[in-house]
Amino acid sequence: MSEAYSQPGRLRPAPENFLSDEQITEVKAGRRDFLRSSLLAATAAMLTPLAARAGSAEGDANILNLPEWSTTSGKPVADRPYGSPSKYESQVIRRELRGLSKLSGNSASFAPLQSLFGIITPSGLHYERHHQGWQDLDPARHRLMINASNPAFIKQAKVFSMDDLMRLPPVSRIHFLECGGNTGTEWGNPLVPTVQYTHGLLSCSEFTGVPLRLLLESCGVDFSKARYVLAEGADGASLTRTIPMELIESDEVLVAYGQNGEMLRPENGYPLRLIVPGVQGISWVKWLRRIEVGDKPYGTREETLAYVDLLPDGTHRQYTAINECKSVITSPSGGQSLLSKGFFNVTGLAWSGRGKIKQVDVSFDGGRNWKTARLDKLVLDKALTRFNIDWVWTGQPAILQSRAIDETGYVQPAYRQLREVRGSQSIYHNNAIQSWEVLPSGEVNNVQVV
Amino acid sequence: MSRWSEALLCSALLGISLSVSAAEDFSAIGRAATPAEIKAWDIDVRPDFLGLPAGSSTVTQGKQVFIAKCAACHGEAGESNAMFTPLIGGTTPADVATGRVASLSAGPTRDRTVFMKLSTLSSLFDYIQRAMPWNEPKSLTADEVYGVMAYLLNQAQIVPADFTLSNDNMAQVQALLPNRNGMTTDHGLWAGAPASKGGMGNGGKPDVQAEACMKDCATEIKLGPPVPPPMLKAQGNPAEQNRSYGAIQGTPPGSN
Repeated sequence: MSEAYSQPGRLRPAPENFLSDEQITEVKAGRRDFLRSSLLAATAAMLTPLAARAGSAEGDANILNLPEWSTTSGKPVADRPYGSPSKYESQVIRRELRGLSKLSGNSASFAPLQSLFGIITPSGLHYERHHQGWQDLDPARHRLMINASNPAFIKQAKVFSMDDLMRLPPVSRIHFLECGGNTGTEWGNPLVPTVQYTHGLLSCSEFTGVPLRLLLESCGVDFSKARYVLAEGADGASLTRTIPMELIESDEVLVAYGQNGEMLRPENGYPLRLIVPGVQGISWVKWLRRIEVGDKPYGTREETLAYVDLLPDGTHRQYTAINECKSVITSPSGGQSLLSKGFFNVTGLAWSGRGKIKQVDVSFDGGRNWKTARLDKLVLDKALTRFNIDWVWTGQPAILQSRAIDETGYVQPAYRQLREVRGSQSIYHNNAIQSWEVLPSGEVNNVQVV
Repeated sequence: MSRWSEALLCSALLGISLSVSAAEDFSAIGRAATPAEIKAWDIDVRPDFLGLPAGSSTVTQGKQVFIAKCAACHGEAGESNAMFTPLIGGTTPADVATGRVASLSAGPTRDRTVFMKLSTLSSLFDYIQRAMPWNEPKSLTADEVYGVMAYLLNQAQIVPADFTLSNDNMAQVQALLPNRNGMTTDHGLWAGAPASKGGMGNGGKPDVQAEACMKDCATEIKLGPPVPPPMLKAQGNPAEQNRSYGAIQGTPPGSN
């Protein structure tokens, strides 16, 4: 195949106006036959002789002339005592969505999902959402207080230092963390171009900490009366959310200090945050300073003025928490281009706040037909799951979608199905199927099948 | 058999558990919180007003505090969207009567203001006390919080200009909030016990039932409008947001 000679590392210019708007409309309507002749013409134009690109008849200069790293001494160990990525990886960073907020301390930065592998998000690329900026707390001065809304619900209100918490038997667990507002820009129409912005309020880490149940038991909490927990941060916002006691009794909720083998990063709540698997990020209170047990939900600002989901009838759903089953193809994705025809690995992430991922299906024709993708073996409860599927791109227009199914049998819905129930103003909990349109030029765009 | 395995076998035979049991007593770890410590940090106010500190202030006094400490971001009348979503606007006297904000069901609208959404007055007190003003959180006295709230309630046409708000009449004002009847917990996204068992929600029942069709699932594929060009431009150059090598790279600007 002549396409096999396409040179990696070079962008091939897209043929201008390969398809007219009218033709694109026809493609979307499923009529493709006319493409055959135009594709042949374009393919011929795109192919450049191999010799012209190699630069020399003898071969690749990168082989023929030894590079400097093969002919000089390298740097010593511990040259950089805390390592950092290669200088060639400077594109792989979290990014603030421009226009989201007028105050960066009250904003969000998005993880570069398009560039990540596997299921673990490097700690430095974990998404951020701060409500009053981030702080770097002194762990020696940080305290966790546990008290009750009614003294009858607790034998002894207590204070724990980091010394105390790190004496207790820890557990380490891999869980995803997704902001309730992830994909929130897309409820009405596609609004942002890339997967970093459509789905990047999503990360997955191994967290290490102590089950909150142990701490509540050590205070003598009366679990028969105290059925709710208020979690409160130590930052300027001192953000609060209500957590159901059932999640604490199940031992899922952790008071965590570790993330991916080291301490939490300051942006992620150093030195202590709450881990609430399956539940949206706002409940994973960072810089955790206080836990109050009580008999009623707390109606906090984040449960009344924000993180409430507007329905078409004008009511808001309050105390929404679970992240329902969702998936997205991370590459190819919006803002990217396929550099040649032929084989591609299509890869993405699937997750569910209700348990494990059972299956991910991928469509290349906008949802007409689906094929089941391969799941990487590490399929964990309430964690990101990596899927891959082979695809041979013939150069024809395509619309790529992924659809996840979790172990409860719940199937990720299409936009039409979600909007029929929730309208388009909900902001939060958009778990609809994402579509990426591949143009004959190889460009990939964010679109919605409606 | 090694000595270690013998020891394990031995303890197994004797019924001794080597693991940390769930009943392990950690009561010696941590220390008692003092009443002063609890008072210093336990500042939350619940919808039933548990935790509400005593105090009072007038609309006039509150206006002075608001102009001095809040108006730079929120505007003198709480109307500004320069920094945050506006506090005031979008509610009517008819909403005060029904407890439902009519403009919320009017389809896509402008900003949803604080008073369009506020269903529990406690949430406003709690939030201002813990998180405002932006540059000096937790600096307002209880009286100042009552005053700022009185001023905002007046701006929202909920209380008259000569009103005094206090811990004694918060419940009466709660009964006037335009969106007091605007919240529902009847959904499947609460992670705890359902309403039928003393909790909230329907026990996790999803509101959308999709099917996993595999073949010939649609006859026509219709696309909605594309990403608006200004939004494409605003988020920068995708070629600089992807690795510069690989079979799939960022699309340079101007390709669209």
